Amino acid sequence: MMDDLERELGRFEDLKHEDDFSDDNSTRGSKRTKPRRMDAGESYKTPRETGFHQSTRICLEHIREALLHHRWQEAAEYMACYPQKLEDTATSQSEQYTELVWRLSTEILHQHPNSKLDDYNSIYERMKHSGIRHYLMICLEHSFHLLLNGHIENAKNQLSAAESWRYGKESGHVRQQQIVKLIQAYRSLLDYMIWCDKRFTHFDTDPSSISNADMHNYFRQASVNLKEILRNPGVWDPFILSYVEMLDFYEDYEEALNVLKNYAYDNTFPPNPNAHVYLYQYLKRHEAPERKLIKVLKILQVLVPSHELMLEYSSLLLQSERKKDTQKALEVVLEMLAFACWKSNLDAWKRLKDIIEKLQLEKNWKDVVSDKMAERKNWWPALHFTSFHFRTDSEENPELVEVKASLTKILCPDLTMKYSAGQESA
Amino acid sequence: MFEANMDEEWTAGYREPCVQCSAVDWGVSDEGRFYCRSCHNVIERTREVVDPTFTPGSSRVSTIGKGSRTKKTERGHQWNICEGFQFILKKQAEALIRLGVSPRLKDEVLCELWRLYLQKSGQAFTDRPLTSFRVNVRGLDSDSESAAEFSGRSVSDTDGETVASSTVLSNAGSSVDPPPCSGSSDAVSYLTAQQLRSSSLMTMRKTLALIHIALVWIREALTLSDLLRLVNEGHVPYVNAFEELPDEMKLEGKDHLIFKVETIPSHESVHKEAQALLHVLQLPPFPPISCQSLLHPALLSLRYLTELNLPDELHLWVCRLMEQAGLEDQTVHTVDPLTLYVLPRYGVQTAALIVVTMKAVFGVDDLTEWEFSGQTGEQDDSGNLFNLRRWYKLLQAALIRAQQNKEHDTARKQWRSKRDVSTSRNRKWVAVKKKRTAEQVQICFERLSSRPAGVERIGPSSFRFCWGDEDGADGPGLHHLTLDGVLTLKHGVLTPSHSTYWHPALQQCNYWRCRSHYLKFEPTLPRMFVWLLKLFSFLLDVKPASLYEEVLRVERRVFGSRTPWRKTETKTETKTKTKTKTKCRPKTKTKTRPETETRPETKTKTKTKCRPKTKTKTRPETETRPETKTAKTDR
Repeated sequence: MMDDLERELGRFEDLKHEDDFSDDNSTRGSKRTKPRRMDAGESYKTPRETGFHQSTRICLEHIREALLHHRWQEAAEYMACYPQKLEDTATSQSEQYTELVWRLSTEILHQHPNSKLDDYNSIYERMKHSGIRHYLMICLEHSFHLLLNGHIENAKNQLSAAESWRYGKESGHVRQQQIVKLIQAYRSLLDYMIWCDKRFTHFDTDPSSISNADMHNYFRQASVNLKEILRNPGVWDPFILSYVEMLDFYEDYEEALNVLKNYAYDNTFPPNPNAHVYLYQYLKRHEAPERKLIKVLKILQVLVPSHELMLEYSSLLLQSERKKDTQKALEVVLEMLAFACWKSNLDAWKRLKDIIEKLQLEKNWKDVVSDKMAERKNWWPALHFTSFHFRTDSEENPELVEVKASLTKILCPDLTMKYSAGQESA
Repeated sequence: MFEANMDEEWTAGYREPCVQCSAVDWGVSDEGRFYCRSCHNVIERTREVVDPTFTPGSSRVSTIGKGSRTKKTERGHQWNICEGFQFILKKQAEALIRLGVSPRLKDEVLCELWRLYLQKSGQAFTDRPLTSFRVNVRGLDSDSESAAEFSGRSVSDTDGETVASSTVLSNAGSSVDPPPCSGSSDAVSYLTAQQLRSSSLMTMRKTLALIHIALVWIREALTLSDLLRLVNEGHVPYVNAFEELPDEMKLEGKDHLIFKVETIPSHESVHKEAQALLHVLQLPPFPPISCQSLLHPALLSLRYLTELNLPDELHLWVCRLMEQAGLEDQTVHTVDPLTLYVLPRYGVQTAALIVVTMKAVFGVDDLTEWEFSGQTGEQDDSGNLFNLRRWYKLLQAALIRAQQNKEHDTARKQWRSKRDVSTSRNRKWVAVKKKRTAEQVQICFERLSSRPAGVERIGPSSFRFCWGDEDGADGPGLHHLTLDGVLTLKHGVLTPSHSTYWHPALQQCNYWRCRSHYLKFEPTLPRMFVWLLKLFSFLLDVKPASLYEEVLRVERRVFGSRTPWRKTETKTETKTKTKTKTKCRPKTKTKTRPETETRPETKTKTKTKCRPKTKTKTRPETETRPETKTAKTDR
């Protein structure tokens, strides 16, 4: 009897306690210190669990189970029963439940055969406004979804709205600021897309019309943001491409080159091979001198020795007059060939043959080759020159067999295995 | 501050949630347009949306004092918490009557009980009402219609004046200075722990306890388990019962803490509550519960046997056992301040009787019953013999199905009120917004899955399982089968074929110190027995532990009352084997012999003949064991 009274009282006390909480989000700071009663991740049974909490807990378990087994209809059915959790007054963790409902709902909508865009819109709108913590994130996700369904204009409106969103201290939060940057970036990307559209539809026909000015307008909007954002360390590949393309179009080559160089050479950025690729492609497009191209590719070679541009790199080196470059080319190609993707590539082997042929014009070519092969001689024969390789190569690419066979003796003079074993007689 | 107040004046009447963010927090811009303060969405305030839930009775003028008119009308009438409970009790009783309970329940019994309760707990009908407890006449009787409705409620005519007389003095005070943001006048005093502890004020759970007592009083065939099931299935208002309060009784602020329900109380807790109420009420002897009453084990067991698809023939044995345990007497079942001042748990007791009967007939020791089933299977040519194995398979499948359904229903159950609920005014718009959000999400998924949220309402039924040939039945009915397979004719009397009856140690231990040993013993008990307990506890929605205790109590009545309590052994694990040969009358021969060092095992040999005749033998086999003696008294 007493026990139950205590329990009853305890519950009242708790509820009263909750009462003092203001759900007003600006007072979150003070809420942190209050004891937690429920956790979003908490799905175990507590001895004092109320029937309401039991219902929502079991409901969540069922939803989880249904999701795991891809029973979307069942998940949707249970999901209809779950939102009551949002009204839970006995928890100060309502933000977590909002997130839970948001993520579960969108997941089910993604998978359910009958879901419509209206459903998405309504869920996103509701969730967006039921807690400021996730506002920006949901905006971003919402616009992605609209993009996927081809509603570019809508998506852009979403992002623009999110961009101008402010909420007191919360918008000053580091995490929120990062999301704001993302939102700005994507908004600019959409500006770029619209710019592209206009470019293809109007510019060709009527270069000096209003639509041109309109187009320039989009360029300005996009470039203001992009310029700012691309200074932040990160991987911005699609953004940088679009920015460079626009700059290129308006013939601001210097800025474009600057942006690309910064992207490739700034040490605060994470190492990104694409940065060097873009720079190389840009330089190549604008017919930069070979030395500059080689310089860019040299860094790329360090980052990704198997990159497809290495073939171009080696040819550039080969064309160069300097002796050292030929040796460098040999090294580049040898390193390439160690990768499975190049192993039976005819061009790579041909290139190797060309390099060797050029080297052979020099006196000490044997030293150079054996020097480069010294570290490889243990495993190269097994990797390239076995009778098995011979058989497969001759089946798939007879030309390759010829090239490889001609190189066998040069690269591995003391070869014990026989690349041409089956074809000895031929 | 001033601006905010101005805004409030302007926007007071407008309680619609914002279209964009569902918040209810309107401000008025410089141009005089409404905007949402939470998302800055400007709306065209031209559409008047009339929503009765937000401004009830706004068309009525019921103020005589100063102050803003809108505020007064929003508050509704002043009322007391116990008025609210009275209303809820009335609704509950009406629901039960609609379900077929005798109409006497409401006016003759429940009304009297409620009046008695108010008097005994010092809330009304007394010269000295609780000090901080202000009872108020519905004041300001400008609304004659609702006043008439109030006095027409179940506590009628006679009490009207008493309530009025006891509280006229408080009328003036409370209407001058109503507690802020509370619909009722006394929620705050109701909620202080002191009050709750000392004066046994009403709670939602107590409404069920009171109804239960009333049901027992009129000897309705509705056990506490049935009542709780009806509550759980929503046939009797309990969760969100306050929704049925009339519009004039607005729930605000702390009221919600009293009326809001987030759990259906357990069988045990309501029984305790009823027991406590019984002491508060100090009722005269209850109407006797005789063999003809549906609450008496004789008839209740018949219902459970039918529910569990057990053969009707078993009822005979239940009755015999009941006689032997001395449970057929109506005094054991009738609450009487002189003889029995404990509210019996009719359902649990009957279930325990059936379990003991099954132990006596089938063995239920994980061995005997399966041997019998094997034999029965071989003998059975006509298909008329009851086979426990077949029954177990049927029941186990049905039980698992029922448990799963129950869990699904639990998961789908909706607890939230349709009315807007908030505990304080400044939280109100948050609550409305959350509710709106939840509703929207719910509607979206209801549309998507084309299935409404919540538990599908099924018609109320006393039975959980359904046996027979019709569609949707859990399996074929076994009621007509005979027990011949497990019974043998000895000396012209049918007796169970096996002669041993096992039972756990029957000594009683200190009730306060150790409540239940079930969890400790559970792993050592025969699985079939544990399964039986689980089956019944699912049926009655009680804990297996409390059913286990009840089984022990019945066994104590059958055997144990004749053995002196062994006070020294309360903690040791004991296993008693009792050999029983049952006939019409018990004649017991008990052998108790401790067999192992660690577990003293008692073997009781019981031979029963028609004549009362007793012989007891206690044979301690090891010197070191404490000797147990079994005394015999025959009935």
